[in-house]
Amino acid sequence: MSPVTIQHDCAREGAIALTPIACKVLSVSQETADVKAFRIQALDGTKPFECRPGQTAMLSVIPYGECMFCVSAQGQDYLEFTVKEVGYVTEKLHALSPGDTVGLRGPYGNWFPTEELKGKDVLFVGGGIGLAPLRSLLTYLLDHREDYGRIDLVYSGSTPDDLIFLDDITNVWPQLPDVHCHVSIYKPCEGWEGEVCYTAPFLEQLKLSQDNRVVVLCGGPSLFRTCREMLVGLGFAEEDIITTLEMKMKCGIGKCGRCNIGSLYICLDGPVFTLAELNKIPGSLH
Amino acid sequence: MSTLTKDQLPQLLAALSESATVYVPAEIDGISKFAPYGSAGTGEPRFDLVNTMLPPKDLLFPQSEKMYRYGIDAEGQPFINSICESTDVVLFGIRPCDVRSIECMDDVFLTKGFADENYQARRQHLLTVAIGCTAPAETCFCDSMGLSPVQAPAADILLNETADGRAWQITAQTEKGQQALAAAGFSADSSESTAAEVSCSLKVNTQGLAAKLDAMYDHPLWEQTARKCLTCGTCTYVCPTCHCFDISQENRMREGTRFRSWDSCMFFAYTEMAGNHNPRADKMPRVRQRFLHKLCFFEQRYGKTLCVGCGRCVEKCPVALDITVLIDQLNAAEPVQPAGEGE
Repeated sequence: MSPVTIQHDCAREGAIALTPIACKVLSVSQETADVKAFRIQALDGTKPFECRPGQTAMLSVIPYGECMFCVSAQGQDYLEFTVKEVGYVTEKLHALSPGDTVGLRGPYGNWFPTEELKGKDVLFVGGGIGLAPLRSLLTYLLDHREDYGRIDLVYSGSTPDDLIFLDDITNVWPQLPDVHCHVSIYKPCEGWEGEVCYTAPFLEQLKLSQDNRVVVLCGGPSLFRTCREMLVGLGFAEEDIITTLEMKMKCGIGKCGRCNIGSLYICLDGPVFTLAELNKIPGSLH
Repeated sequence: MSTLTKDQLPQLLAALSESATVYVPAEIDGISKFAPYGSAGTGEPRFDLVNTMLPPKDLLFPQSEKMYRYGIDAEGQPFINSICESTDVVLFGIRPCDVRSIECMDDVFLTKGFADENYQARRQHLLTVAIGCTAPAETCFCDSMGLSPVQAPAADILLNETADGRAWQITAQTEKGQQALAAAGFSADSSESTAAEVSCSLKVNTQGLAAKLDAMYDHPLWEQTARKCLTCGTCTYVCPTCHCFDISQENRMREGTRFRSWDSCMFFAYTEMAGNHNPRADKMPRVRQRFLHKLCFFEQRYGKTLCVGCGRCVEKCPVALDITVLIDQLNAAEPVQPAGEGE
């Protein structure tokens, strides 16, 4: 199997630089106690801009501030953002209702290698809010189902209440041909009949072969470390383990400096990298 | 050889001032910087200052700059309107190191997929008149960073003092420079300036430095260097190439303005994310980031070193954390890179 190569010097024609466009909240869905998914639409009812799975955009909660999020899914006339309430701007964002105005600029960064994944099996590994960036690619693969092989999702959270898109994971996706969702929680919980296991050992148990299979991994620092070590131990090549990085971002267009690692800017050259690439970038795995 | 005698200088400055704001080196309240020629407080241009204390970067990249206005209009409709203000500016008397710093900022703000509109507008309206240095300061080391004290290839116009010290050889290096001089009624050479080479006394060896640093991320020297740093950010403030910025907003009633302002990689909050995660929470990674960015990462990305050897940080650092001393130490260090990822 030829290793996956990810494009980093991406074309940016048409992307919005620093001044956002006014958009509106189309719908809000409460995913967990502190996670909401927002569908955002341009004021004229169209999709704000085209973007590819894995790309990011700067969502502006007027007048409080703006933050960079991955586009977690998209439809004909909207972009979806899945946001955990962790700070000032996300708290203000969570207070929004359908019809409210927001600012939006993007799309930024590179994307998952959808062309190169054609014909391959894809294993998604994520925890908690880490499903948001995975979801952009997963929904894309589902929309182009015939181009891709078997799809596995290994997803976990501390408790059942920390699992986002629970309906998709338990009811919708498992009904689709050759889509397998493996869900676990970390802490035993009354009423939970599924797996209670950390993600890395869960991966080991599943015994998925690395033949013709690419892994897309996204989660917090500890999940990311343990799972990448497990995957490498299971025989997956570092070139076949894809992930997304995050850093504080302000401009999104490679100027303001703060998401710099090595000679790269995560907002421009990332966020999508293979583990093989990260091993060569000083500081990226710290 | 076309010359501009020092007696003719006011005439040239007056002519350039007719269509642009001309900034000249000045000392105001003990702080030297570029200030508008002819305005109260600026006084006579101070071409005797080798380097101004503050670099001229704020003329292209203001310390604080409005980016756009937003709000709800009278009809109740949301609006977001860009603010992009620029006027013709002449930067007169800029030194070769600072000219180079503009080239570095051009790389950042104008290349790699996105052109920054505000910077671009200011840049297009800028004319640079450089003056070669005859007596570099003790802290100057531009010729160690691949520059020359008497050459500034990216400047529109270059002035180099003639042997008798009474005039400057005047060279128009771009079409823009040529046109500006023609409009002001002055002629200029178009070939390279023939000034005799000048040498800085402070020397560092940067041969192969970026490549060596690429393997020194985990070197103990960073911890040692960071120990005395106060993370005050003075180095980034006076640096002509430091360009990091923050974006923030100011709100009043139903309207607000989003603006950017200088920021510094020396500060804790620079990389602090919501949820309190901070990849550079400690001083050492911040100090390492600044020097690696200057001497290694920028070179890998843009093919230039992000230090121009102006010596401002050397002079202003309150604890004498001297980049030239650090470069010597880096050159002398054994390139140890621990095995593994250092987790």
